[in-house]
Amino acid sequence: MKRILLYVLFILIFLYCLFPFGWTLITALKPTDEVFNLPVTYLPEEVSFENLNNVFYKRPFYRYIVNSLIVAGGATLLTLWIASMVAFRLRALDYQKAMRVQKWTLIGTIIPPTLLVIPFFIIMKKLSLTDNYLGLILSYTALNLPFAMWMLHAAFRQLPRELDEAALIDGFSPMGILYKIIMPLSKPSLSVTAALVFIFCWNEFILALTLMPSETKYTVPVGIAMLSGTSVYEIPWGEINAAVALTTLPIILILAAFQRWIIEGLTQGAIKG
Amino acid sequence: MNRLIFFLPFFLIFLIVPVPVSSQVLLRMIGPEDIGGAWAEIIDYFHQSHPEIKINYISGPWSTDERQNMYIRSFLSGDPFELVYMDVIWTAKFSENGWLLPLDKWLPPEKQKEFLPGDIGAGYYKGRFFRVPVRSDVGMLYYRKDLIPKPPRTWGEFEQLCEQYSHPPDRYGIVFQGMQYEGLVCNYLEYLWGAGGTLLDEKGNVLLETPENISTLGFMKKVIDKGWAPKSVITFQEQHCLEFFKKGRALFMRNWPYAWSVLERSPLKGKIGIAPIIHKAGRESAGALGGWGLGIAMGSKNPEASWRFIEFATSIESQKILHMRRGAVPSRKALFNDEEILKESPHYRDLFEVLLKARPRPVHPDYPRMSAILQKHVSALLVGIESPEEAALGMDRSIESLLRGRKKPWPKRLTLDYDLHKTLINTSLFTFLSVPFEFLLGLIFALLLDLPFKGRSFGRLSVLIPWILPTAVMAMAWQWMFNNPFGVINDLLLRAGLITNSLDWLSTPEGAMFSAIFADIWKTTPFVAIILLAGLQSIPKELNESLSMDGGGPLMKFFHLTLPILMPYIRVALIFRIIHAAGIFDLIWVLTKGGPADSTRTLSLYIYDLAFRYDEIGYGLFLTLLFLVALILISFIIVRATTLKYERITQ
Repeated sequence: MKRILLYVLFILIFLYCLFPFGWTLITALKPTDEVFNLPVTYLPEEVSFENLNNVFYKRPFYRYIVNSLIVAGGATLLTLWIASMVAFRLRALDYQKAMRVQKWTLIGTIIPPTLLVIPFFIIMKKLSLTDNYLGLILSYTALNLPFAMWMLHAAFRQLPRELDEAALIDGFSPMGILYKIIMPLSKPSLSVTAALVFIFCWNEFILALTLMPSETKYTVPVGIAMLSGTSVYEIPWGEINAAVALTTLPIILILAAFQRWIIEGLTQGAIKG
Repeated sequence: MNRLIFFLPFFLIFLIVPVPVSSQVLLRMIGPEDIGGAWAEIIDYFHQSHPEIKINYISGPWSTDERQNMYIRSFLSGDPFELVYMDVIWTAKFSENGWLLPLDKWLPPEKQKEFLPGDIGAGYYKGRFFRVPVRSDVGMLYYRKDLIPKPPRTWGEFEQLCEQYSHPPDRYGIVFQGMQYEGLVCNYLEYLWGAGGTLLDEKGNVLLETPENISTLGFMKKVIDKGWAPKSVITFQEQHCLEFFKKGRALFMRNWPYAWSVLERSPLKGKIGIAPIIHKAGRESAGALGGWGLGIAMGSKNPEASWRFIEFATSIESQKILHMRRGAVPSRKALFNDEEILKESPHYRDLFEVLLKARPRPVHPDYPRMSAILQKHVSALLVGIESPEEAALGMDRSIESLLRGRKKPWPKRLTLDYDLHKTLINTSLFTFLSVPFEFLLGLIFALLLDLPFKGRSFGRLSVLIPWILPTAVMAMAWQWMFNNPFGVINDLLLRAGLITNSLDWLSTPEGAMFSAIFADIWKTTPFVAIILLAGLQSIPKELNESLSMDGGGPLMKFFHLTLPILMPYIRVALIFRIIHAAGIFDLIWVLTKGGPADSTRTLSLYIYDLAFRYDEIGYGLFLTLLFLVALILISFIIVRATTLKYERITQ
């Protein structure tokens, strides 16, 4: 009895968490007219790719995706590159000292991006990097660096120091040790960190909205928020839902692929901060 | 990985080095979606005669506010859209900031005479000319000739006609633009002028706490309260009014001239008349002057080319295309005598007279903010949050404090800033309503997920989903789910029998706040749950068992074992959540834009507006700093309050 009650509760939680995404998916697969049917239909009468098609052919959605991929991809690579070097250096310090450094950098991550948007905008404008992929990539790197450092430092520290010494004797340079030994050995952590940083960048809204004003440089979230018809009454809800589904599906797939490590990484990252 | 590092520098170089462009001059402009293809045709002709110039017409959002923001962001970014297609009311602000190139040298006064005087006047700012009118516009009253004997002239006549001929909900009296946006201000100002009132006097003093204004607001409120206008009018823009009127569901409609040609193609053909806006007995009416014009952005590379396009787009031929394909009212006087146009639109003779009397909205660089304040209060009046007296007082104080506060030092301005106080209240409300629920739900989730059961890892994965999905994107999904009447939430509640009518979640203050909080709880509960779960897992099994053996019940176990061990985790989550809830932006910006009547506008939205809409970056930065200090203080308080006695000792 108790078990059944428990499972009912789990199913409720499950529905609660997945419903908005599921509903978007259902709406996206309805034909454009059925979206506005009353009463609402819960299973599409017919599955149609009309909305998905429209998103790509009537609107520059592929452009937003390319922009997002460039920005999130670039920021992820840059973040990992810098973070692994810093983490490698931190690993050489003794544990207490390294933790102190980390604590201070992590304080920065707790500041909500809303408070950082004006300073970032001013800096990027001074550097003439507004409306430029690089401007957004640098901003995202700055935002995600502490987190990536944290994850990589934890991973690198698990590798025994004797490894370095052996490599030094074998004639590796310090950077060679990092690239040829440490990083290959920490592949799982590197890929989880990469996945998370990528998702964070993919999701980011306020900086993308502010630093990339022209329509051809919108990232996916900004593009979707700006999707609209010719008047309030003609908001193309079918297409919007299709776009939302297309944007969120890859994240869920990444999440599914890395689930175990992501939960672990997130808890560590969040708690020790 | 090695290869990645090898390619990284190339990747960066590819980003920095601009892609070579062809010798063709590229000019960009933003406009509304090109229905009817008028702009495509004009641009096509232009390309034929000017192959060296390429015009890129960007279809912007329907909201003119949003298009204005796109322009402003482009000016601030240093790579402006070359052709500025602007509403009359943007001119003062854009020119004041030096974002526009004066056009006097290309269009001298003798050539300006070919255009309507009001439209030209609106293109001037501080003695220089910045904007060539493309299309003119004026607010007017449409009425059902077949139902009403004679159009009303005064408010009194209007009320009588409504009493006599309207029978809601089948046929209402009037529809007008009641949504919180610029259109509402046009409607309001027309009534205000019709009551003999005005916004600013010649010296720039605010004249809103006046009997004229109170009677204007009282009249607008009466129209709603008496049911002459449908309740949903508070969500109407022009297009929506037109749809409503076209179905024959209203006697009158306040709209712009474009509606005429649409109505002439509908079943109502021949049953429609136009009249000037109504006024208070003994006063005079005036329609609000609207319209769009073209200017050139300061700092654009090829102003000569831009001018050639402007000249082309404002020519008689182009204006004819805009008229025929889009129903746009020309801004050139000659076209009002044009045979071809008069044959198609005989009402243009009357329209010309209305246009000559049209009144511009105040030409002031701060007009957009004044308008935002007016929108807010008129909207609050219509929704029923404020009485006419309160609204009049509120708008007077707000605009006054804006005009005076600008000159005051920032610390002094804090006490005057009406918007700041309002957004602070909203932010606190949002934070202190959402965070406790997140913790309660998060704790329940964590306790459940900590139990050993089959499919636990799958459960944990699904719990993570709300948190990992992009907020701004999911806000769009929530907007759809809360939609009235097509939203699934209304449908579920209706089916469950909890409500009898679809609720207007996003257009009432309480509903909008509830929706925002609900969506935020959905999104962030998993975060709390995951952190608390980690805490639960750190509880040593032996302790749990030994407590059970000592005869501790589940409640006692929770309070004496679980909670104390969870405390550090709760502390981290609490600090994190409070800071982020107070700084909420994405969700609200997309879900409600801070509306209705500013009821969900939070501090971050206000600061963002200050910096990127009202271009007061300095003051915005000052507020940001104060906000940061406040958040740090709150964090310290939380740390103090949640540090248990024994923790202090061991530390």
